[in-house]
Amino acid sequence: MSSVISVRNELRDLYATETAAIGREFLGGGDGRKALARRTAVVDTIVERLWRETFVGSASSPSSSIELTLGEQPKGLALIATGGYGRGCLFPHSDIDLLFLHSNEAAESDLKNGIRNLSQQLWDLRLKLSPGTRNLSECERLDPSNLEFAISLLDCRFVAGDRQLFLKLKEKIIPRMVARDCQSLIRNLAELTRSRHHKFGNTVFHLEPNVKDGPGGLRDCNVANWLALISAMEKLKAWPEASTLPLSSRRSLDSALDFEISVRCFLHYHHGRHDNTLTWEAQDEAATRRIGTPDAEIANAADWMRAYFGHVRSVHRICNQLLEEIPAARSLLYRQFQGWRSRIASNEFSVVDGLVFLQQPDGIRDPEKLLRLFHFVAEHGVKLSTTTEFKVEQALPALAATPPRGSELWLYLQETLVQRHAADALRSMSALRLLAILLPELQGIEALVVRDFYHRYTVDEHSFLAIENLHRLKETHSDGERRFAELLGEVEQPELLYLALLLHDSGKGVPEANHVEVGLELTDSCAERLDLDATDRETVRYLVGSHLEMSAAMRRDVFDPANVKLFSERVGTPERLKMLCLMTYADIKAVNPEAMTPWKADTLWQLYISCANYLSRSADERVHTHDAGYLGASNLAHLNSLAGVAGKRVKHFFEGMPQRYLRIHGVGDVLTHADMAAGLRPGGVQLDLKHVRHSYELTLVATDRPFLFASVSGALAGWGMNIVKANAFSNEAGIVVDTFYFTDRFRTLEMNLQEWDRLKQSIASVVKGEIDVERMLRDRAKSQKTTSAKVKVSTQIEFDDQCSAHSTLLQVLTQDAPGLLYRISSLLARHDCNIEIALIETEGQMAIDVFYLTSRSGKLSPELQRVLGIELRLELAPAPVIAATPKS
Amino acid sequence: MTKVEAIIQVSKLDSVKEALHEVGVEGMTVFEARGHGRQKGHTETYRGREYTVDLIPKVKLEIVCTDDMTEKIVQAIASAARTGKIGDGKIFVSRIDEAIRIRNDERGDGAL
Repeated sequence: MSSVISVRNELRDLYATETAAIGREFLGGGDGRKALARRTAVVDTIVERLWRETFVGSASSPSSSIELTLGEQPKGLALIATGGYGRGCLFPHSDIDLLFLHSNEAAESDLKNGIRNLSQQLWDLRLKLSPGTRNLSECERLDPSNLEFAISLLDCRFVAGDRQLFLKLKEKIIPRMVARDCQSLIRNLAELTRSRHHKFGNTVFHLEPNVKDGPGGLRDCNVANWLALISAMEKLKAWPEASTLPLSSRRSLDSALDFEISVRCFLHYHHGRHDNTLTWEAQDEAATRRIGTPDAEIANAADWMRAYFGHVRSVHRICNQLLEEIPAARSLLYRQFQGWRSRIASNEFSVVDGLVFLQQPDGIRDPEKLLRLFHFVAEHGVKLSTTTEFKVEQALPALAATPPRGSELWLYLQETLVQRHAADALRSMSALRLLAILLPELQGIEALVVRDFYHRYTVDEHSFLAIENLHRLKETHSDGERRFAELLGEVEQPELLYLALLLHDSGKGVPEANHVEVGLELTDSCAERLDLDATDRETVRYLVGSHLEMSAAMRRDVFDPANVKLFSERVGTPERLKMLCLMTYADIKAVNPEAMTPWKADTLWQLYISCANYLSRSADERVHTHDAGYLGASNLAHLNSLAGVAGKRVKHFFEGMPQRYLRIHGVGDVLTHADMAAGLRPGGVQLDLKHVRHSYELTLVATDRPFLFASVSGALAGWGMNIVKANAFSNEAGIVVDTFYFTDRFRTLEMNLQEWDRLKQSIASVVKGEIDVERMLRDRAKSQKTTSAKVKVSTQIEFDDQCSAHSTLLQVLTQDAPGLLYRISSLLARHDCNIEIALIETEGQMAIDVFYLTSRSGKLSPELQRVLGIELRLELAPAPVIAATPKS
Repeated sequence: MTKVEAIIQVSKLDSVKEALHEVGVEGMTVFEARGHGRQKGHTETYRGREYTVDLIPKVKLEIVCTDDMTEKIVQAIASAARTGKIGDGKIFVSRIDEAIRIRNDERGDGAL
């Protein structure tokens, strides 16, 4: 007994002394691999010694029930290191995986006591042993519920005992099992890996990442090596002599492995336990000690974390590529899906197993082709193949010398941003350093850790995720999200919203500064680079500058009309409100997976609808240039800027114009309208027609007269145009500015340039009463096919006398139909109602028309409202279905 | 020891937190809550759809304190959260038998 105790004491001392020495050496600047190798050797020594004490025939080995002569090894039992211990990578607080391998069940029962005794002694030494006992036939069977064991055998290493038994396992059993169950092994390993990645949000960019299990962590390094090894063993039916990974992948993996091993080793010492979380405190200390990066220039923790993310990103990429490339790593259904996706190939790109290949690899030096490649990725949700990535990387130095810019870059970028998989394309561009070349404004936030208690991801990943959150809305099935999805469908220029999301936190790249202010400077620089037009630039600038305002407003009482009014007036227009609401939604949701609680989503929505209602019900507050205090600060600045350019003429034009007019129309528009108004002859009309994005914009300036709005609506309907949006405003002098946005259903204007003038002439004639608009509509109706509506919208009519001091508000919600606006507005005109303001919108198949009406310069009488209500209901009632009369 | 629970308006959270810090409260737990008392729900129509908010968003604070701090805390919350209108919220005070700091098993007032 005393001998046993003395051995235990000796080993305990050895372990304590060596452990302390390894720790000192590592923290003094040593490298991780060396520390792990030394620790593995110490544990080997201890295990071998205890093995000898327990099993090798000696006077002091009473635990074995089989008779051994002095110095004899027990037959049919081998002690094998597996997992990390088998690889020789034993971290300071990791478990020690030991396999007691028997030749058969009989040997197992003979040696049971010895195994128990050896395990007990290791535990007594405070080694965290994780033992397993198997016989050869058990090792040959793949147990799908314990894949980890089969995988751990891939790293098996002989420690003590029956070497022949170990060689049988290594040379015969394992290759046979792998060759036979290769498909299942790979598939299960891939599933485990994907589910592990999913737990971490499929991103490496966590503010406090897990160095072992997080995407791109040490586990992924192992997975990459295992996948390559299993594939090679399937082909060779034996162990390959060297790694079968491509040289470039092997180099990246080795370099990352060196780094990550050092980091994890450091974390175990830092935490004093088996904790692989790279906390902020650990990041500070690791940066100070230059863990894993002894030769790099590291100024602070942010620099060190960039080095960290550089390594994990390449591991993650290699691991994912292998998961895509190795056929068995995907389920049959997935393979079929990928097979189907292969058909999306173009003459520039082909898709094989979900990976994009270049049809002409050298053509990628053309910047436009490079941009088309990422547009392709964003559109189809495919990944770049290793060879494509290699080619892109080769093309980058030339691209960096003369990067694309201006409208050419914006054209591709905006088309990429609106695609469903835009965030994946941006991540891919960022990983290849292309994004920083195209938009250097984002360089500062690349892999940037900003220490915020609530944020989980780096700043760039947060921005990509925010973009992804909006795109995901389109596929949502949840009621809570569907309302935001509908809003997204209404946004006129979603590309500006996505660009604003990409830039919204760019200012965080400058430490200690106000990130919103810096973000605005970077937005200006980016707008200049992309050559955005003034209106678009202003919209993006507004969104970046205001991206925190709706969150702040949510912290006030969202039911308080005063708060709603204040916030609504700061926002200004319904379009901006929609974009800001969606931006706030996407931004909060990208903070961490739990950040957008149903509570917050409801509060945000409540604020949105209150403000949207306020904006449509306060549209007739008028501009009075002599009463500056009445105007908001932004309006005043707007007015002054206009007055400076065009002086009294402009001031005279917008005197008495609704404030809403100034919010909707930019400086350029107002100057154009003022010029058009100045050129008006008595009874005349000024028209301006232009193509804007997906629709046409017709602006009409005229002196007010009955049926004006109705006539123009009718004329457009008579031409087969579909009015999707319209605004009508008038100033104190009775000058009317009506703007109609319409789509050209029959492509008349697109295909026939001469029709532009004819349309304008036709409208001018209708306004002057020279053409009968009713007749135009009758002619159109003859050629019109009647189509039944896919979504039935029931008509709702509401009058409101409270929201305006001067007018009665009429809101009509009804099924959209050709000529609808004409029918409503002409009915109003027949009752001598003057349209002071019209705000017309179309949401899918629903027309949402808001009119501010006066009759004899005052609000509509209750009687008139009643009559109008009845007549409108009759006018908008669906046509009765007349049953066919049976032939007699 | 006493537990003070307060249900207050969302907009009053910042001023209540500030008032609590001024009387020496260092820690509190804040929950997103919904509910209503006499301040009933709120209905708003948007695009022809009626959105009824039966349960109004509120925040709930929980503070466990030593007995001598109870009244100061209640006063701080009440004065900072009060607007005088229906919907300002409620404060509940209850006894606590024991507090345990998980990190070191410290118990009683010292664990607060």
